[in-house]
Amino acid sequence: MQGIMNNLVRATVLLAIVASLSTVARAESSAATKAMSMKSADAAGMGMDSMSMRATETKSIAPIVVGKPTRIEVKPEMILFATPMQYMNIVVSGFYADGRVQDLTRVATLATADARVARIQEGIVLPVGDGKTSVTVSVGDFKASIPVETVGHGKPEQVSFLNSVQAALTKQGCNQGACHGSPSGKGGFRLSLRAYDPVLDIETLVREAYTRRIDLMDPAGSLLLLKPLMEVAHGGGRRIKKDDYSYGMLRDWIAQGAKVDADGAATCVKIEVYPKNREYLRPAHVQQLLVLGHYSDGSVRDITKLADYLSSDEAVATVDPDGFVVSRERGETTVLVRYLDKMETTALTFLENVPGFQWSNPPESNFIDKFVFEKLKRLQIAPSEVCNDEEFVRRVYLDVIGRLPTIAETEAFLTNKASEKRSLLIEQLLASDEFPSFWALKWADLLRVRKTKISEPGVHKFHHWIEQAVRENMPYDEFARRLVTASGSTLSNPAANFYRTSADVNDCTETASQLFLGVRIQCAKCHNHPFERWTQDNYYGIAAFFQRVQRKKTTDADDLVVWTARTGETTQPRTGKTMKPWAPLKGELDLPGEDDRRDAFAAWLTDPNNPFFAKVEVNRIWGHLTGRGIIEPVDDFRESNPAAHPALLEALAKDFVAHGYDRKHVMRTILNSRTYQLSSRRNEFNKDDVKYFSHSKTRMLSAEQLLDAICQVTGVPEKYAGLPAGTRAVELPSPDVDNYFLKVFGQPARETACACERAGESNLSQALQMINGPLVHGKIKDEKNRARVLAASGKSHSDVIKELYLAAFCRVPSAPELKAALDHIAKSGDAQRGLEDVCWAILNTNEFLFQH
Amino acid sequence: MQVACRYLCLAVASVMFVSSAGAADTPAKSQAKSEAKPAAKAEAKPAAKAETKPAAAAATSKPAATTSAAKPTPVAAAKPTGTAKPVSFKADIAPLLVKNCLACHGASDAKGDYQLHTFTAFSKPGSSGLAPVTAGKPGDSEVLRLLTSEDSEERMPKDGDPLTKDQIALVTRWINEGAKYDAADAKADLVSIVPRKPHPNPPEAYRAAVPVTALAFSPDGKELAIGGYYEITIWNTADGKLLRRIKDVEQRTFGLAYSADGKLLAAAGGTPGVSGEAALYDPAKGTVVRRLGTMADVALGCSFSPDGKQIAFCSADRSIRTYDVASGKESLLIEDHADWVMTIAWSADGAKLVSGARDKTSKVFDAKTGDSLTTYPGHSETVLSAVFAPDGKTVLSGGADKKIHVWNPADGKQSATIAGFGGEVYRVQIVDNEIWSCSADKTAKRHKLADRALIQSLTGHADYVFSLAVHPGTKRLATGGFDGEVKLWDTATNKPILSFRAAPGLTIAAAK
Repeated sequence: MQGIMNNLVRATVLLAIVASLSTVARAESSAATKAMSMKSADAAGMGMDSMSMRATETKSIAPIVVGKPTRIEVKPEMILFATPMQYMNIVVSGFYADGRVQDLTRVATLATADARVARIQEGIVLPVGDGKTSVTVSVGDFKASIPVETVGHGKPEQVSFLNSVQAALTKQGCNQGACHGSPSGKGGFRLSLRAYDPVLDIETLVREAYTRRIDLMDPAGSLLLLKPLMEVAHGGGRRIKKDDYSYGMLRDWIAQGAKVDADGAATCVKIEVYPKNREYLRPAHVQQLLVLGHYSDGSVRDITKLADYLSSDEAVATVDPDGFVVSRERGETTVLVRYLDKMETTALTFLENVPGFQWSNPPESNFIDKFVFEKLKRLQIAPSEVCNDEEFVRRVYLDVIGRLPTIAETEAFLTNKASEKRSLLIEQLLASDEFPSFWALKWADLLRVRKTKISEPGVHKFHHWIEQAVRENMPYDEFARRLVTASGSTLSNPAANFYRTSADVNDCTETASQLFLGVRIQCAKCHNHPFERWTQDNYYGIAAFFQRVQRKKTTDADDLVVWTARTGETTQPRTGKTMKPWAPLKGELDLPGEDDRRDAFAAWLTDPNNPFFAKVEVNRIWGHLTGRGIIEPVDDFRESNPAAHPALLEALAKDFVAHGYDRKHVMRTILNSRTYQLSSRRNEFNKDDVKYFSHSKTRMLSAEQLLDAICQVTGVPEKYAGLPAGTRAVELPSPDVDNYFLKVFGQPARETACACERAGESNLSQALQMINGPLVHGKIKDEKNRARVLAASGKSHSDVIKELYLAAFCRVPSAPELKAALDHIAKSGDAQRGLEDVCWAILNTNEFLFQH
Repeated sequence: MQVACRYLCLAVASVMFVSSAGAADTPAKSQAKSEAKPAAKAEAKPAAKAETKPAAAAATSKPAATTSAAKPTPVAAAKPTGTAKPVSFKADIAPLLVKNCLACHGASDAKGDYQLHTFTAFSKPGSSGLAPVTAGKPGDSEVLRLLTSEDSEERMPKDGDPLTKDQIALVTRWINEGAKYDAADAKADLVSIVPRKPHPNPPEAYRAAVPVTALAFSPDGKELAIGGYYEITIWNTADGKLLRRIKDVEQRTFGLAYSADGKLLAAAGGTPGVSGEAALYDPAKGTVVRRLGTMADVALGCSFSPDGKQIAFCSADRSIRTYDVASGKESLLIEDHADWVMTIAWSADGAKLVSGARDKTSKVFDAKTGDSLTTYPGHSETVLSAVFAPDGKTVLSGGADKKIHVWNPADGKQSATIAGFGGEVYRVQIVDNEIWSCSADKTAKRHKLADRALIQSLTGHADYVFSLAVHPGTKRLATGGFDGEVKLWDTATNKPILSFRAAPGLTIAAAK
């Protein structure tokens, strides 16, 4: 495929465009974005290495060489077996003189001093009888001793339904959302999502359908086991093996009568993961995790085999069901460990000495570069060079004011000799009149400015309010406070539309959480969040702040009056409890009876110590400017979705707060950083990086940017019904203008407050729109088309082509490009048609379609 | 327009180009699968196998070592390939298909637009359009290709262990020998053509009490038939002593019914998720009179027609079937419900059938034609039991919604509901103008048919009451529970008079 594409690229400009467009058509997330070549002519020269997908093949696990550790560390430090079913894995770490650490679990040998108390089986310590002894761990020349005590060994022990069976069903994926955990179950068998409702589950497992699922006479013959074993055909496929620990738990539980836990049986109060955060340097590349459950009876049990694991970056490292981590390539990952409703994370960094890598010591423009480069250096990823002026001018115009620079603006910048010209341009754009409308668009998306929600006059008023806030650079805390505490007529106080688009208390809870805390809390409405700590109680605790918001219609159908009642409490639907207002990390709030609770929420929200508020906004700005949030998606903050660069995010947020929540200040800082200004061309040492900002991220223009750019390059503006001529797509107050092109390219319908509503993926419809759609076709054929007008004015074809290149790419064509275009015009016989083809071809290049 | 056409051609070319390149990528993914394990299917499960293991052993992550040891390979696969006897579709191939393929390509599901619940369906190409089987040409048989593919993404059974070498050899030989169908009707369900094997023996002594899911009084009231584990047990109603054990019965029995003359005992049962069976036994001799039919999942209920000439069964395979009692021939197959059919009963005149299903509906059918006459959609959960009132003008249906609904079979209109249950209502019967029911609230209840007033709630069971039978002649009520307890009650006093666990050989210690 690459070879053929190369030939195509070389063949003619036209074909090159088609080839590259086909890539757009199949574009999927980062892999395809990576594959985008920038300049059609350069592409051949650059080689198509960037086409190769991220390496997916596994580096095999290398043998662990003990070497010469200076000390070893064993975990746990002591073992107390309080019931016969307990067991304990021992994790062994070696520390070396050069500061390295390595997991030696798999090469350590274990022995017990008294086999009547404890024994070793396949690296696991098991109780044998009451008494005290110790386990000796030997690795290399080192020995460590772990005291062991066994008590109450003779007592019979039931397999715990809650602690073992529910965990096993969760670990094997039986009760996940796509399977039996979906609200309607699968195949008539429904479990609660990730076991949040044990009362329902035991009923379903044991008694539903006349005990169909279990066989007390032949436990191993239970349908509950035969199905996931695929011994009886199972729509969900193979889910368990007979030698899985979970299998033994399920079977033994059935053998013991499939009973509920006795009243007062121990429950898990917290889990602990070892090691907690660690950095490795190859050859160290594996880690056996140890997960300990702390129970209400004081016992500490090994639950490594019952917990389930999720690696935040599987390309960096994978975790198997036994908690064994294997690194695949250098980078960082956070392992999320879940056991029933408990979760913990551990951040693991895998470093590697990359042959030939040398740190180039690039200059740092500001603190952003310090953080980014420090990490790149550690991960041995070389940042790209700084982008050239042509790339910069195009990039910064698109990012800051949402449009391409005019030819005059481009030329002015390119010919400017001032050394500070980039900073000057940044200042000029931040102060420009087009800045507010472009950034208002982003917030209008999130605030759901749409006729159906807030009426047509409401759209204009609210949009204007947002735009004005950007124009006067309203501090972000002020902006949020005004929205959250707004009351009155939505027409006279447009900020009150916040409570019009969020039409009920749940919507308010979810929108406020999403926008200002970066938390997608919707899941917790019906059950505890499956990937995060957020519980159902938290959801209704936040809801309590908004419970009293009331909405009243007026005689004017376009208006709505928002006010707050003096009473009104929130009830948690599952428990029936009345919820006090609750704020993350602050807990329950005791608020005076008749106060508007929203004031308290706003005060908590905008408190400089609020760990979420500032971060979410700087992350959102960072995401807009670089194409990828430090946390991505930008409004999905959770432990299982760690920041690519927590320190950088922290620093940006601190700087933001210190500068009075000045959003322009944040933008200025980012735009002036070398990191922002890096080229999108990758080098040998950063070609696989997609998350550490070692190069600029190529990304397709947004729907509005693209449409405006097409209009600008062709010189044929688009008309929108009911709006003044000359209105640009980025200035549209709402998506109510029915523009098919914008929709196809991902303009959101503003149904939710989620940033994800703006679709980032490319699709075939887009390709067809660009290739053959009426909008593009019409603009190319229009008699006011730039190429036509220029040609009619007597300019040479060569000059016309140069202007087109400048307008679309902010650069002049290379000699081969110019020649290819001129040749095509000559061959086509009809010069006008030939020029139209070239114009079409330009619009269909990745270099035009993408921000780079 | 010309311009447009030019562009379009280019676009099409580029799209095709991409798709072919995409296809070329896939083989790289394929990985040779690790060694095939023999498909260990216990055909004769030793039911009373000592199962409790030292708990600590389970912690060693090798919990299954003792249980899965050395099970016999299936008869079909063990057959040496060199023998002269040709491969039989129904005896050798169909069992493989039923066991390995039916879940995703059965009557109710058609992954890849392909089904194989019947031979006709099995022979029809799926979405690939390729012939599943070409007689004499294993190389042109898509089924065989998918069973043996090296690409784990496409190898069937998806996510399951591959078939063993012997099994593959068997399929190959069957195709080579002409891929012949050796059963009568190519449209018959595969499960029905597979030659039956005798059911395993019941346990000598029960290791646990099994839930009592079916009960029936003999017409004279002297005996009580109870569904056991691979057996039906017959008990003396006078003293609660075990009289006989009927063997060669499906794993579980969910419905029992005596013929009016007491000479036949019908049983609806099966092995959950695996098979179902409709059978007639001689309750006096304890022998099988006739096996009427098999199903892909358990049979859940059975009922003799008022004249005793027909018997109806309902099943978790979503079907209702009626059979001619004298000849054993299937007289009607009704596939109208969208989910398990939990219950089936006749109208007093024998003209209609009423069913209840997990699709939350109760339906009335013409018992001659099988036409659906009325659908009652009033239940919000599974309908577990439904019966006609003697006058035929009312149906009473009990369900998981903890209610008995009273409705008109002519138009499906509800006239009343009976609430007051603390759990699912498993059985509803009408005897002598009284409504008898049992529920997960651990009670059996008597209501007046006329005004639906509660007469008595019979308490005493310690767990869910799954089954119930009334014998008006001897004034006896029998109830059976989840915990295996059977109670006999005197309906004159509503007091329990006998209680036992229908689990021969069960010791008290094991019951606890």
